[in-house]
Order: sequence, then C-alpha cells, then structure tokens
Amino acid sequence: MTINYTRISALIFLLIFLVYSYLAGEIQVFAFDEDADFNARTFPKFISYLGIFVSFLTLVLSKSEDEKFGHYEWLKVFVLFVLVFTYGIIIKSVGFFLSTNLFLLVSYYYLGVRSYKALLLCSFPVVAGLQFMLHGLLDVYIRDPFLQFLGVIS
Amino acid sequence: MIEGILTGVNTAFSGYNIIMVMLGCFAGTIIGMLPGLGPMSAIALMIPITYGFDPASAMILMAGVYYGAIFGGSTSSILINAPGVAGTVSSSFDGYPMAKNGQAGKALAIAAYASFSGGTIAALFLLVAAPQLAKVSLSFQSADYFALMCVGLLSIAAFASKGQFLKAMIMTALGLALATVGQDALSDITRFAFGNINLMDGISFVLLVMATFAMSEAFMIIFKKMDINFKASDVSKDKLGSIKLSKDEVKEMVPVVGRTSILGFAVGVLPGAGATIASFLAWGFERSIASAKEKLKFGKGSIKGLTAPETANNAACTGSFVPLLTLGIPGSGTTAVMLGALLSFGVQPGPRLYIDQPELFWAVIISMYIGNVVLLVLNLPLIPYIARILAIPKNILVPLVLFFSVTGVYLISFNAFDIYFMAIVALLSLVLRILKYPMPPLILGFILGGMLEKNLRRALLINDGSFSFMWERPISLALFIIMIVIVLLQIYQGSKKKAELN
Repeated sequence: MTINYTRISALIFLLIFLVYSYLAGEIQVFAFDEDADFNARTFPKFISYLGIFVSFLTLVLSKSEDEKFGHYEWLKVFVLFVLVFTYGIIIKSVGFFLSTNLFLLVSYYYLGVRSYKALLLCSFPVVAGLQFMLHGLLDVYIRDPFLQFLGVIS
Repeated sequence: MIEGILTGVNTAFSGYNIIMVMLGCFAGTIIGMLPGLGPMSAIALMIPITYGFDPASAMILMAGVYYGAIFGGSTSSILINAPGVAGTVSSSFDGYPMAKNGQAGKALAIAAYASFSGGTIAALFLLVAAPQLAKVSLSFQSADYFALMCVGLLSIAAFASKGQFLKAMIMTALGLALATVGQDALSDITRFAFGNINLMDGISFVLLVMATFAMSEAFMIIFKKMDINFKASDVSKDKLGSIKLSKDEVKEMVPVVGRTSILGFAVGVLPGAGATIASFLAWGFERSIASAKEKLKFGKGSIKGLTAPETANNAACTGSFVPLLTLGIPGSGTTAVMLGALLSFGVQPGPRLYIDQPELFWAVIISMYIGNVVLLVLNLPLIPYIARILAIPKNILVPLVLFFSVTGVYLISFNAFDIYFMAIVALLSLVLRILKYPMPPLILGFILGGMLEKNLRRALLINDGSFSFMWERPISLALFIIMIVIVLLQIYQGSKKKAELN
C-alpha cells in the first residue's frame, strides 16, 4: 500500500470518527433515557459508524494520485489567514470602521497594490457605504468606539 | 390555488419585491461572472443582508441572485473561457469559439434568450408540478422523510463527487457530525461543545457556508495563482459586435429551447443533480440528435450547442426549487444554502408551506418570471458595462471577498470567536478542496442533519425501535431501493474506471 495524501487524509478522518464515536458514547443522557430506543447518543453513533466505514474504505481503496503542494502560494494564504485572525482580535476594541479599513489596506498592500488611489478608493468608500447601509438603512447596530469618539454615530 | 397565486402575484409585484429581484439578478450576475465565485458563494454573501427582511423578500432576492449568478457565469464562459459557475462550463464549448470569431455579442444574446426561455418554461412547469407534489407529499411520514433525505444525501454525494464518491461520503458524514454540535433539539442535552460557550448553540450555518465557499474560494484564487484578470478594453462595445439575431438563427434555437427546457427541468427536480449535469446532458443530447453536418459545428461555435446548455441550466435552477419548496429537501448545494436561510427565518419548507404560507410559496414562483424578464431586459444591454467587472484585479477582489465574508458572519453574532473559527474552517476547506474533497455534500449533510435525526427518532419511536419501517412502507421501500441502486452504480463506475486504468 503506497502512501499518498488521500490515504493520509483518510487516516486522519478515520481517527476523527473514532474519537467522535468514543465521545458519542460519553454523552450524558437522562437516567430514564438510558435504555430508550432513541436518545441523544443514537444519531451521533450512526454517523460515526458511517464515517468510520467510508474513511476506512477510502484508506484501503484509494489510488495513488499526483497531488502536488509545492508550487502553490502557501505563504500568501497563511498571511491572509493571520490578517483575518488579527481582524477578529481588533474588531471589538478598535471598532468596525477602523479595523475593517486597516484590514483592507494591509491586505491590498500585501497582495501588491501600490497605487494610493486604488488603495483609498477600494477601502474607505466601501466600508463607509456598507456601514451606512447597515446602520442608516437596515437599522443594524454596530458598536464602533472610534466613530462614537468622532461623534459620527451615537 | 387561484387565491394563492393571486396572493403570490400581489406579493411578488410589490414595488419593494421587484427592486429585490432586480438587485438580486444584478448582484448575482456580477458575482457569478467572477471566476471562482459561484451561486453558492453569491447566495451565502447575501444571507447577512437579508436578515432584516421578511422571508418572502429574502427568498425573492436570493432566487434572483441564483439566476443572476448562472447568467453571469455564462458571460465569463463565453467571453474569456473561464466559467464562473460549473453549470456554465458547457456554454464555453460553443460560446467561446463564437466570441473568438467576433460574435461575442451574438453569443451573449443567445445565452440571454435561451436562459430566459428555459427559466420561463421551467417556471410554468413549476407552477403546475409544485402544488401536485406538495399534495402527494402530505401523505409522507417520518420514515419516508428519513428515506428521502438519505436519497438526497447519497445522490448529491454521487453527483457532486466527480468520481470521488467515498470522499464525498466522508464529507457527508462530517457535515452530519458538525450538525450534532450543540444542544440536542429534544432533550436539550449539550453535545460535543467541550464546555465552550460559543459552541453550545451549535455551529452557525452562515459561518460554515461562508467559510467553505466564499472565503475558501478567495484563498483558492491566491493559492493557485489564478489569473482572473481581463482587459476592460476586450469587453468594450466595439469588440462585442452586434447582439441582434437573424430570423434563421431564432428558428434554429426554438426547437432546442423546447427540448432542453424539459430535460433541464426534469434533471433539476432530481435530488443531487443540478444545473451542471443538466447543461452537459443537454449539450450531449443535442449533439447526438444533430445531423452529421451540424455535428461538426458543435464545439466550434454552434448556435444549438450554445442554446442547449444555456436553456437547460436555467430550467434546472427552477426545477431544483420543486423538492425544496414541496418536500423541504434541497436538491442541490445552492438550494441547500437557501433552505438553511429559510430555516433561520423560522420558515419550514415542506408540504405545509403551500398551505400555511401561500404568499411565500407563490411569490417565489412568480418572482422567477420577473427575474427572467429582468435578466433579459436589464442585463443584456448592460453586459458590455457589467463585464468590466472581470477587469477587477485579484489583489483587490480577494480582500473584498474576505471582508464581506467576515462581516457577514460577524454581523449575525457580534462574536469575534466566529471570525477565528471561520478562518480556521476556511483554511481546512482549502486543504480539503486541494485533496478533491467536494464541499456541497458537507453543507447538505450539515443542513439536513437536524431534520434527519428528528425524523429517524420519530420513525424509530413509532416502530418500537425497529428499522422495519424501511421495508414495510412502500414509499420508504422504493426510496431505499433507489439508494441501493445509487450505491451499486457508484461501485460499478468505480470498478469500470479501475479496469480502464489497468
């Protein structure tokens, strides 16, 4: 049996469903429900059987395929992932308007946009437009300490 | 029924809802045109916007986005041979050669007329078929629903897998497993939350759709160094050529439209099959019945070759609403996203929808006519301008898609945990996509998980814990036979492929 990425992923899924099966058995149910025909454990148990069965079959039956990971832009995707994560961290404290503009500006710049016109036109008007639509038209409240400080929103 | 239709007409023709259809078609066209972003991403991006709307308006907007995205996908298929939507791949077979021959305008006009005709004829079928099916499905019991959902899950795994049935089944199981996170609907027991308060209510459906489609598509564009840029000058009015069709060309189109709209609608109704399969089938079917002389034109700019898939994919889109509206079971990944959206509005699609909320049921059907007219009247003349969207560089597009995805999820919960969780899910989906694990079965599994458990529980309680309902009820038995056939077909296709490789 040759090792390929599909087999490795199938093995990971097999382990995930085995753990899921164990955890399904550990779900606390009411004492009167313990021997019932159907309780909170039943459906997860069935899913785990299905998952274990199909991932095992994939592990055994998969053919060697040429998955290549080398020539892709892993770093760029990872940096964007970190940027999204950071956006999530600062959105509450900094506020929607400033954090979103910051996220967009840094992302554009990282991906190679150097024109100041493009950088500014594709960030501030877009965010301001969306925020106006949500806040002003659809009545969706977005907490924004920065705009509150400036007195733009109450 | 007449009363229901009139209520639907009244709702659909309200000024507000007409604006919704127009906005939906317009936004759908723009998003669908962008290679990589399909109708699922387009609808997912619309969900947060529709939260303040009433369910009828939201559904009308999303239905508009759906046809718009299919139409937009055709545009990029024809103009740059880069289909934005899988359902329009076969449109590029004849559409792109026509564009290369300087007939881009004509090809776009054929696509628009064919889409309009296919969508309109299929909406007529829907008008007749949906209430009939809804009446029949009133006799369905929990056991039948359970069996029907299993058929839906199996068939979407079979059709969406592109030969990777087992991988699609893993995704289905994963989707079902994710649906069990949070409180159990009946006993209120919390499952798989690991003490994390953010998981006690379960995983948000919008989060999962945004992460697995919109966000991971954006990552994929960067990851694969996809060159989606296109020179704006190439879609200028002068380069597109005339959009007028001659009488002979229209004559050539008419019988194809008739045949393929029936075919498209029928394929769309089937669970799992959708616009992609319908369009390929239609193209192949027209080619097979064409004369030897005409056959040679297929793939080189044949009018029939472009009309067939364009008619069938729009007819299939309309057809896929039949199981969604009448049985509450989505037939495709896109309608699964719509089902999730409806459930979050507190609307339960199914046979009772037709009786309990006729204004919603009929308004969606009537809005399909309006949507088709909007696509023809509004989008066709605007194509040279809308197509310039293809010129947006990917380094501007990707951050914008990420921003809309994150904002969409954040605006529902105002919880930063959702953003972290979403980013992780998007990254994992990217890896799974590279390994050719299809995402639609995961979404369908996730959305149907709760309903599947509820119906299995009822069926088992009624049958004293016995699975005999599978063969005792004729409807369930028929559905389980279909399931066995699907599995056997997959085994047969797998072994055939293996034999060919050997």
